[in-house]
Amino acid sequence: MTALLDSAALDQADDTGTTPVRLLRAEFMKIRTTDTGWLFLTCFIVFTVLALTINGFGNHTQLYPQQGLVSPAQALAQTAHFRSPAGVAAIAASMMTSGQLFGVIFALLLGVVVVTSEFANQTAAVTFVTVPRRATVIRAKLAAAACCGALFWLVGTVLAAVATPPFLYSQHISASLAGWTVARSVLLNLLAFVAWGVFGLGLGAVLRSQMASVIAAIAVYAGSFGTIPIFTVLYNLFHQGWMLGAPVIGPAVASEVMTSSGPAFPNAPPAWVGGIILIGYVVALAAAGLALTKRRDVI
Amino acid sequence: MVVLLAAVVIGGLVWLLWLVRRSRGGTRPDHARTDSAGPGFPGRPLGGKRVSPALMSQGRIDVRGLTKEYGGVTAVDDLSFTVEPGRVTGFLGPNGAGKTTTLRMLLDLVEPTAGTATIGGVRYADLDQPIRRVGAILEAGAAHKDRTGRNHLRIVCQSAGIPLARADEVLELVGLAVAGNRTFRGYSLGMRQRLGVAAALLGDPQVLILDEPANGLDPEGIRWMRDLLRALAAQGRTVLVSSHLLGEMEQLADDLVIIAAGRLAAQGTVASVIGSMTYLSRTLVRTPEPEKLAAVLGGDAVVTPAGDGGAYITGADAVAIGDAALRAGVAIHQLVTQLPDLEAAFLELTAGKAAIR
Repeated sequence: MTALLDSAALDQADDTGTTPVRLLRAEFMKIRTTDTGWLFLTCFIVFTVLALTINGFGNHTQLYPQQGLVSPAQALAQTAHFRSPAGVAAIAASMMTSGQLFGVIFALLLGVVVVTSEFANQTAAVTFVTVPRRATVIRAKLAAAACCGALFWLVGTVLAAVATPPFLYSQHISASLAGWTVARSVLLNLLAFVAWGVFGLGLGAVLRSQMASVIAAIAVYAGSFGTIPIFTVLYNLFHQGWMLGAPVIGPAVASEVMTSSGPAFPNAPPAWVGGIILIGYVVALAAAGLALTKRRDVI
Repeated sequence: MVVLLAAVVIGGLVWLLWLVRRSRGGTRPDHARTDSAGPGFPGRPLGGKRVSPALMSQGRIDVRGLTKEYGGVTAVDDLSFTVEPGRVTGFLGPNGAGKTTTLRMLLDLVEPTAGTATIGGVRYADLDQPIRRVGAILEAGAAHKDRTGRNHLRIVCQSAGIPLARADEVLELVGLAVAGNRTFRGYSLGMRQRLGVAAALLGDPQVLILDEPANGLDPEGIRWMRDLLRALAAQGRTVLVSSHLLGEMEQLADDLVIIAAGRLAAQGTVASVIGSMTYLSRTLVRTPEPEKLAAVLGGDAVVTPAGDGGAYITGADAVAIGDAALRAGVAIHQLVTQLPDLEAAFLELTAGKAAIR
């Protein structure tokens, strides 16, 4: 296509037009060229360092029970438990996934912002005029949100991998970070970060309002944990066995069940149940976001 | 306790970073100023190529029976018009007449309830590489406030498969090269409009659809916009531009599409639309005996004082007034026919069509 405006750049344009890879790169450019993504990443790094420190103190207390707080016999039993191969692996896994419980909130909120900032800044019209195939745009955003979640996980894991060996050494315990227990926790942690990034994007695509989406995201995440006391009360009233494991229906509880190396709460179902429930929410929200964005008017 | 501590620390950090961001942005005004881009923004002349006649036919905009209902309100009601290439077409209507909804339906942002809107016979969504065919401005404020103008354009380039260097070319074209690396938050309204034009021209499109592009521009900016749009139309491009600035539109547009309450009120060249309102014309007469002249005119003629010794006469043209004055022996010192301007024609065409429905 000849450029009428004497454009050297357009003369070299690749006329194959829009492709999913180009759109994904455009989404990364959008994230890179504003402060929000960097702000979230900075906060995440600071938070992870803080979580590693707090987690380190917590694990130290488990390994070296304080005199007076527990009886000598209890202290011996506790030390023996945590210094067993399984206990050491659990400590290593907990260190390697430090801050995950709240760290995923940053991935969740970034996912929300990736889509809602288009509506908050009225750039949605520009985006969809440039690429009228809206489903392709949303799929690129979903992929970008997943990649951002993975990036947060990578940064958190690198920080943990730097801090964990010196900590284990200082506690006079040795554990292989390449062992299955640790590797499983780290990989499920990756799945959680990716899932929450996509969850945020789906939620933002459904609600569109940035303020409403951020409030809803935090409410859903924090509110999920309310299922534990609610079902405990219900169990005490109705004595139905299934109620003990039912809190897993809260998305954040499902995530915790999936990633936790031990039971996330008493009578928690197996990790795969949490994983399926979390992924179910993510798929449902992403599908709803896609369908609504295709159908709704951009005004 | 630990969670509470973490929450406090995170909250503090977010607040601190927000403060830093605010203070960085504090040197730049958040509000949109109405000053011009200034003498430092001359812009670059357009290239001299023309759209080939074969390609021009692909630039015709055709709207047929377009209807949009929101709830119980019909925003656009069975609207049909055609926009020809090589001409500037003004799209006029009162607030709430359905202009923006129509333009958004044309760009596939809003789904019509009925009817079609095509460009070169093809729906916008079905165009191959739409940004290479159609450029649009829908909102002057349509860029992320914390993103630089240059990055805003580069993102559009990246999405559309256009080399990123094109962003610098269009920035220079609209005279924003020196401001390209400043954030959108610090742009005046005039600069925002120029950035919108730059974005619309990224794909060197044959068709331009511009919603209120002159809003907030100062006289120099308005003249720049007028010259640019006329030059683009002279190259054979289709230029459809909505505006409230009727005086400006009278100078800029070749054709007009006027809508009111979602329906077509008039379409044609500027001259033909105004010409169809000749009944709005009046004659200014200066005579020492206005009462005597009024008495001999009789019939439908209505005489109203002009305030400076003259009188406006409607219901009789200059010939009839001159003949009547001659017959009655009334001296005439001045006799001027005043045709309606676009504003008068517009107000007449849209009178009584409530903007708020």
